[in-house]
Amino acid sequence: MRRVLEQVVVHFSRLCGIILLGAVLTVIGYLFVHGWSSLGLSLIFGATPPLDALLMKRNVFNGLFPAMIGTLSLVVLAVCWAVPAGMAAGIYLAEYAGPKIKAVLNLFFDIMAGLPSIVVGLFGFAAAVFLNRKFSGAIHPCLLISSLALAFLVLPYITRTTQMALEGLPLSARMTALSLGATRLQNIVRVLVPQSLTGIVSGIILAIGRCAEDTAVIMLTGVVASTGVPRSLLSHYEALPFYIYYISAQYTDSEELATGYGAAIILLCICLVLFLLAFAIRKRISYYALYRA
Amino acid sequence: MSRTTEKGVEILFFCSAFFSAFLTLALFGFMLTLGLPLFAEGRFFSILIQPWAPHLGHFGIHPMIAGTLAISLLSMVFAFPLSLGCAILISVTSKGWTSRLLRKAVEMMTGIPTVIYGFVGIFLLVPLVREFFAAGSGMCVLTASLMLTLLVSPTMILFFCDSFERVPVSYGTAVLAVGGTEMQRFLHVTLPHSWPGILIGFTLAIGRALGDTLIALMIAGNAVQAPGSILDSARTLTAHIALVFAADFESLEFKAIFACGMFLYLLTTLLVMAVRLLGCKRKRWAR
Amino acid sequence: MKTKSVAVCAVALLVLAFGPGAFASALDAFKGEKGEIKIAGGTAHIPVMKEAADRIMGMNPDIQISIAGGGSGVGIKQAGEGLVDIGNTGRALSDDEISQHGLQVFKWAVDGVAIVVNPANPVRALSQDQLIAIFAGRIANWKEVGGGDQRINLYTRDEASGTREVFWEKALNKGDIAPTANFIVSNGAMKGAISQDPYGIGYVSVGHIDESVAPVAFNGIEPSMQTVKEGKYPIARGLYSNTRGEPAGLVKKFIDYLFTEEGQQIIAEKGFIPVQ
Repeated sequence: MRRVLEQVVVHFSRLCGIILLGAVLTVIGYLFVHGWSSLGLSLIFGATPPLDALLMKRNVFNGLFPAMIGTLSLVVLAVCWAVPAGMAAGIYLAEYAGPKIKAVLNLFFDIMAGLPSIVVGLFGFAAAVFLNRKFSGAIHPCLLISSLALAFLVLPYITRTTQMALEGLPLSARMTALSLGATRLQNIVRVLVPQSLTGIVSGIILAIGRCAEDTAVIMLTGVVASTGVPRSLLSHYEALPFYIYYISAQYTDSEELATGYGAAIILLCICLVLFLLAFAIRKRISYYALYRA
Repeated sequence: MSRTTEKGVEILFFCSAFFSAFLTLALFGFMLTLGLPLFAEGRFFSILIQPWAPHLGHFGIHPMIAGTLAISLLSMVFAFPLSLGCAILISVTSKGWTSRLLRKAVEMMTGIPTVIYGFVGIFLLVPLVREFFAAGSGMCVLTASLMLTLLVSPTMILFFCDSFERVPVSYGTAVLAVGGTEMQRFLHVTLPHSWPGILIGFTLAIGRALGDTLIALMIAGNAVQAPGSILDSARTLTAHIALVFAADFESLEFKAIFACGMFLYLLTTLLVMAVRLLGCKRKRWAR
Repeated sequence: MKTKSVAVCAVALLVLAFGPGAFASALDAFKGEKGEIKIAGGTAHIPVMKEAADRIMGMNPDIQISIAGGGSGVGIKQAGEGLVDIGNTGRALSDDEISQHGLQVFKWAVDGVAIVVNPANPVRALSQDQLIAIFAGRIANWKEVGGGDQRINLYTRDEASGTREVFWEKALNKGDIAPTANFIVSNGAMKGAISQDPYGIGYVSVGHIDESVAPVAFNGIEPSMQTVKEGKYPIARGLYSNTRGEPAGLVKKFIDYLFTEEGQQIIAEKGFIPVQ
């Protein structure tokens, strides 16, 4: 009887593996099969010559270039807001907070991490309306508000990875500098953070991936289907994941649908590349830290 | 660095942490304030029970709550055995480089964007479900759940694998010593001891499933009724927010999406508390 | 003979002198301008808006025009709040809406709302009673209205949609729409959904109809540009662009552009009936 159970479990686990891998490969394969033909410079730049588009001399119509620039700007801004705040909060939690405060703050960060992204988007929109009414009528859902909302979305990830990376350091690493007379802050800045850089950086890269792929937050805070390259922080913008969502429902002919597939492939590649980068950095930095330092 | 700069920087760290926590509270506060007109007329509980028919004055989110629960729970019915099986595959059944390769593949799967699942769902899965079951338009609870399964499984699998690894090796050596197989060690020692971790993973995955917007928005049909069967079109709270967002800001309709937001927030808090309680239980187990 | 050839030469000279000037005038208004125009609202207007924006931005890269959808409700709300410069609506505004937000209304086209089914569906004509019963959920199978033995899948638009408002009022006589209907967020998306579902029925702007969907005659009248123009097709509505207060500067030029010959040509190309 026991033997049968064990055999069943073994076969079940193999079946599950096949189902999962099969399903995901079907999804990715389907994208590539339908979108492969549309990949190329015209997908990104439309009818405009690439050099003119890159130097912003001419606008790109019917190309993904504005959406890619929009996503890029979003990610860069969101990371600019989130990384300093997140690392500072993480350092505080790991090094300075007492146990009770730590428990309370950890609860809040867990809630933040678990919030549905659309609720964060709703918050961003509500904040934009609030600012519009109280301060300046020029503020409305735009690149700035979206990047702030995205920063709020990924803040808990960065905080948590920083906290875990710092807490994971062995006691010897923590004590050495202090025993030689360094202050707490000097210890953190010059010893602990550099040693836990692997964890922190891979956390940042995963946060970048999250910003690049998120759609729900930007839908409520300023992304539009068509506007060209964003001109300022207070302007509307396009983004790659929103383009995919928009095209999936509102394509007018099979050519536009093919650009949707192409955009999906590009987005998928960006996210996977970021993931591989995080992995490579983790391996590389630990190699340097352990063997070459 | 002088004393004052040090103190200054420390205060900065302190402020960042508390500001972030404050923002979380502010979020709830915002939604409460903006949704207040809806509650002021004493409709709080009726919101949770009424159907959604704005032109009749009903702003109830009951159909959406039912839709969210239906889609999330169905996806967990699919995802839990699937993830457990895959975790067993990675931890026990396969060895050496296949195990590492599979784990890497699952790690890469966590990076696939949600919108991709929704996109492929519309063009591949919806026609399949429509033709195969010959009922409904293919945009239904079942389709959304299937895609959601693919979304939440990789994270759950990794979590289960970590739980299995955390069980101390010494617990299971006795089984091997008396001639048992790896699978026997797994079934009789590792699995019972990692239950709290498994429950935590399950809870986190439910949280992810409840909070997802795009898959439900793109492939569940968005009809405003509580689904009667898995082949019925349904709408989740998250998709509802995205859809009603386009309505007039001053109207009570719009205020209702703040009610949805609050409901989701409270649900998240509940799940986080549940995970913490299970975590304490796990610490007791490990002793 | 000589007078005739002189007359022809004179006319030719006049055309050469004033012709190019007349043809180039429409976009010239945007030369040397700088700034941003934000447009949101009705989804039926989007093809026209996009074409106009492409031409203007192509001529003058310093102008940025952003176009969002969302439905007529969004157009009113965002124009009224000052969040966008131009709010498009696919239905007439009520006096309340105009006075509450201080909106200026510009009607630049007439459009119809047509019932559409998948091209594979043989049903091509429905009476109003049948339509009301179908959307209320009372008729649930295509065979009851002359099609195959298949269930009917309903598709309807979101609450903010002007297209939905017009359809509900004029085609359904304010009848119920069954809660089992699938919700679609724009005209383009409705077209996409119907073209993929062989058993679906929905409604879409007449200007958006192409080979991917098949229009259904309503009470015997085919929906087309012709019947809408002649007033025969009853489910018709105007396409409006609204601004908060009088439009000024770049926004005024954009709206004026819609009423120029070039603008009217774009509107006709996209399948609507231009209005002077």
